[in-house]
Amino acid sequence: MITALPVFLPLAFMIFALLFRHYHGREYIAVAASGLNVLLSVFLVFKVHQTGMISIQMGDWPAPYGITLIADRFSALMVLVASIVFMAAMAYSVHSLDTRRKSFGFYMFSFGILMGVNGSFLAGDIFNLYVWFEVMLMASFILMSHGGDRNQLEGSIKYLILNLISSFLFVAGIGLLYGKLGTLNMADIAQKLMNFGTLPSELNPAFILIFVGFAIKGALVPFFFWLPASYHTPPPVVTALFAGLLTKVGIYSLIRFYTLFFHQNAEFWQPLVLLVAVLSMVIGVITATSQFEFRKVLSFHIISQVGYVVMGLGFFTVAGLTGAIFFLAHNMISKTNAFLVAGYVHRQKGTLDLKTLGDFYKQHPLWAIFFFISAFSLAGLPPLSGFIGKYLLIKAGIEAEYTAIALVALFVGFFTLFSMVKIWMEVFWKKTPGKEGAPIKEEKSEDPENVRWMTWASGVMALIIVLAGVFATPVVDYCTQAAETLTNPEEYINFVLKGQ
Amino acid sequence: MELIIAIFIGLLYACGVYLLLRRSIVKLILGVFVIGNATNLIIFLSGGITRSGVSFIGPEAEKASLETMTDPLPQALILTAIVIGLGIAAYILALKYKYFETTGTHDLDQLSKTDQK
Repeated sequence: MITALPVFLPLAFMIFALLFRHYHGREYIAVAASGLNVLLSVFLVFKVHQTGMISIQMGDWPAPYGITLIADRFSALMVLVASIVFMAAMAYSVHSLDTRRKSFGFYMFSFGILMGVNGSFLAGDIFNLYVWFEVMLMASFILMSHGGDRNQLEGSIKYLILNLISSFLFVAGIGLLYGKLGTLNMADIAQKLMNFGTLPSELNPAFILIFVGFAIKGALVPFFFWLPASYHTPPPVVTALFAGLLTKVGIYSLIRFYTLFFHQNAEFWQPLVLLVAVLSMVIGVITATSQFEFRKVLSFHIISQVGYVVMGLGFFTVAGLTGAIFFLAHNMISKTNAFLVAGYVHRQKGTLDLKTLGDFYKQHPLWAIFFFISAFSLAGLPPLSGFIGKYLLIKAGIEAEYTAIALVALFVGFFTLFSMVKIWMEVFWKKTPGKEGAPIKEEKSEDPENVRWMTWASGVMALIIVLAGVFATPVVDYCTQAAETLTNPEEYINFVLKGQ
Repeated sequence: MELIIAIFIGLLYACGVYLLLRRSIVKLILGVFVIGNATNLIIFLSGGITRSGVSFIGPEAEKASLETMTDPLPQALILTAIVIGLGIAAYILALKYKYFETTGTHDLDQLSKTDQK
């Protein structure tokens, strides 16, 4: 029952939200509902940690025929982190979003995203996964264009077309796979593939289509173009939500599919996945250094950091996957928080152009500290959570004898640090340039009471980043157990098909 | 029959990609619809097509026989995909309408503003 609740709670909220669209307390109800979702996810993680895996068969149809929702340690952790990111975004929106957007269904569609994301994490059936993707995408299309500014509409068209193409590729792959294997249940497919021994080559088109679909959704090189073209257009809170959740779902699905299906043909997939990972890391970080807009720098960094996760997957050792899972969770939180700070800078200064900003540390020291924590966690400085993630990944790479790739990852870390220092110097440290820069909004001294919820949201996220870095041992232990489950697909298959 | 449908799917994909590469946003949207329908046909075809009765087990039949029925699952999948496609079609046309109202252009090249700034 607990497995299905992360999907049903947002759905119930969406229906309920229609009733109080114009009521002034709607944002507090949304924050309360997202808090309930966090509690639910904590309970789910606790439950999964005790038993290893829990599942539910929708409508009580037995395993390969009915639709399975399954939570193992990896998906439970993702549900938990997504719920934290979501709650921070909801709290942040209380003071950052205009009334017009709030009363036209912002909360309804945000919970639509949450429902799609949770569903994708828990799906045990590939067509069901496609449907959750569509739920998530549909809600994200609406949020992307919500408000109807010109920039947003342009960004939405790019975002929409490329994501739709990825969905078509994915569903075509599902169709071909069903035609060859006659089943849609992930555990059942994995078992049938195992029975083949060596995989027949007619399965390759389906797998390639699915891989490209996930690569577009996860913004891996060379399929990332939609992301930096659209992520800086919507209101900051929407960007933060997207950066934390959407690409990560694509990567989660890639990890799930790779461990269950693709790895059975490892001599083909492993080099390919590692190549895509290295290219994403390097190209993402190099393109980021050339940007001069706060949110665009961060958007390009998403591509680079997604590459780290895929690199850990490509090593396919317990250590590598542990690093990948930890890094994915850390990245969701740090990235969202960096975008939340960008939203605050935009609110105060009216621009995000690095060249015209300055003096932010002097004026808003608290937010400068929040940015410092999340940005240098992304760059991988101890004792923040990013350091642990990168350390685990690079160590795993050297142990798995991919020393060259591990060195590239280390090198990319320096470039990440470089662009984070660039933002730090330009926005927070240097003096505001004189009149020759672009005009800046008149400095208004804002009552801190007006941004109280924003400060709390960002502050709690920064605190989580520090705590996850300092007290990393239990989290890493949990991730190691999750990685052991992933490297051992028989456990998953037996649990779904035989209920053991 | 499979071959004819397969060639037809290929043609649909070719048309869809051609439309996607046009500069007009309306044609781009039409291209998305065409590719969506080609994808639905792939699911239909890969599920196996046989000339046979309805996918239904009658009250007097003991169990389903594979000779007299086709696999109903791909058709159910397509139904889901069509419904999703319909929702997306409604949204994308509304988006296009709004975009035209705001900017007064159909031209994709006018979209480049968000890339640079």
